[in-house]
Amino acid sequence: MLTTWDATPGWNMALDEALLLKGPADVSVLRIYTWSPDTLSLGYFQRLADVPAAQRFFDAHGSGLGATGPAPLGAAMPGAVVRRLTGGGAIHHQHELTFSITTRLDHPLYQGTTARSYERVHAALAGALHEMGVAAHPRGAALPRSEREGTGMCFHKSAAVDLVWGDLKGVGSAQRRRGNRVLHHGSIKLGTTPLEGEIATLDVTPAALSQAVQRALLGASSATIDGETGSPARDLRAARGDLGATAAEVPALHNVQMHAVVEADLDPAVCALAADRQAFFTSAAFLTRR
Amino acid sequence: MRPDDRKYTKSHEWVKIDGDTALIGITDFAVAELCNGNEGDLVYCDLPDTGRMLDQGETFGEIESVKAVSDLNTPLPGEVMEINPEIEDHLEILSTDPWDKGWMVRIKHSAATADGLLSAAEYDAFTAEAAH
Repeated sequence: MLTTWDATPGWNMALDEALLLKGPADVSVLRIYTWSPDTLSLGYFQRLADVPAAQRFFDAHGSGLGATGPAPLGAAMPGAVVRRLTGGGAIHHQHELTFSITTRLDHPLYQGTTARSYERVHAALAGALHEMGVAAHPRGAALPRSEREGTGMCFHKSAAVDLVWGDLKGVGSAQRRRGNRVLHHGSIKLGTTPLEGEIATLDVTPAALSQAVQRALLGASSATIDGETGSPARDLRAARGDLGATAAEVPALHNVQMHAVVEADLDPAVCALAADRQAFFTSAAFLTRR
Repeated sequence: MRPDDRKYTKSHEWVKIDGDTALIGITDFAVAELCNGNEGDLVYCDLPDTGRMLDQGETFGEIESVKAVSDLNTPLPGEVMEINPEIEDHLEILSTDPWDKGWMVRIKHSAATADGLLSAAEYDAFTAEAAH
């Protein structure tokens, strides 16, 4: 379990990549994080032109990093643009909590078809959302009201396994599968942005949602870590306090275990790789790869 | 029983050797895991440029299905001679005919043997185990 609050877009994506490539072989890692500046993340296969807001940003700045810092609340332009390794559509990471899971593909959550793995993760999340009074359920066949063409935004395009409430899409999910490992990205919105319009949101604090996601995916006995805003390095150190966390079974899922990990458990090569790679994810070369 | 004129990997690629070149694709099992019988779930595929040199096991392409991007790994080392021009725009071919029309790349292989790869019978056994 790692929390990294308000980290840069490059660091957020580079740390997930490093956990995918060099993460602990027998320990699954749940990471919960937020972004600074607020960032529009593209799916791995999206063209800039598929996401008009990303194209506008790139045309103005020539890379994923703006010169002006965070976008003001309510702005139609994000504070930064990054490309993810995972598929799917674009997400504006503002008023939002992101989580990542990195584990082996033979983990019980990820065995079998890709669609089944989303169903399992979403089932666990739906339990947490129900606890918070939100009637989240898989979309099924009926398209929600949040569907929109031409924006390239994740929350405007749903699949049958996606969670919806109030007839609006509420959880963004995507994966990267490499060798025998998987990186799973999830996004839950605490408020909407002009780029996303009417989508399902949750009226709780990031800390409360973080705890609910941890309960859902780590199990109820997991210790809670409240990270503090600051540098990624300091936030990683804050994770040191997680020594009390233990592996726990998610009651709704048989034999599914997520283990806690602390900084001391992380191979220094993971942090070194992330540091080396963080500039790449907002680079013009990667943003224009298609 | 899958075609026994080729070899298989545990990451669900196949390689069919023809002299000093070889065709590479992905198996029916891989397609089923990716799209669960719904071929419309396969949305993007990137294949390499011709002339690229690949080490054994190296990623030669990427495919996206249900918002999941998966790497494609070469069973044999070699130089990319040709890519299947139909694949990127007609991913449904992978569902309808993964063994022939669904080939992805042709390489000039530089491996002395295909040792270490699975026979059709061994791959059948491996996937039967994986499905449990």
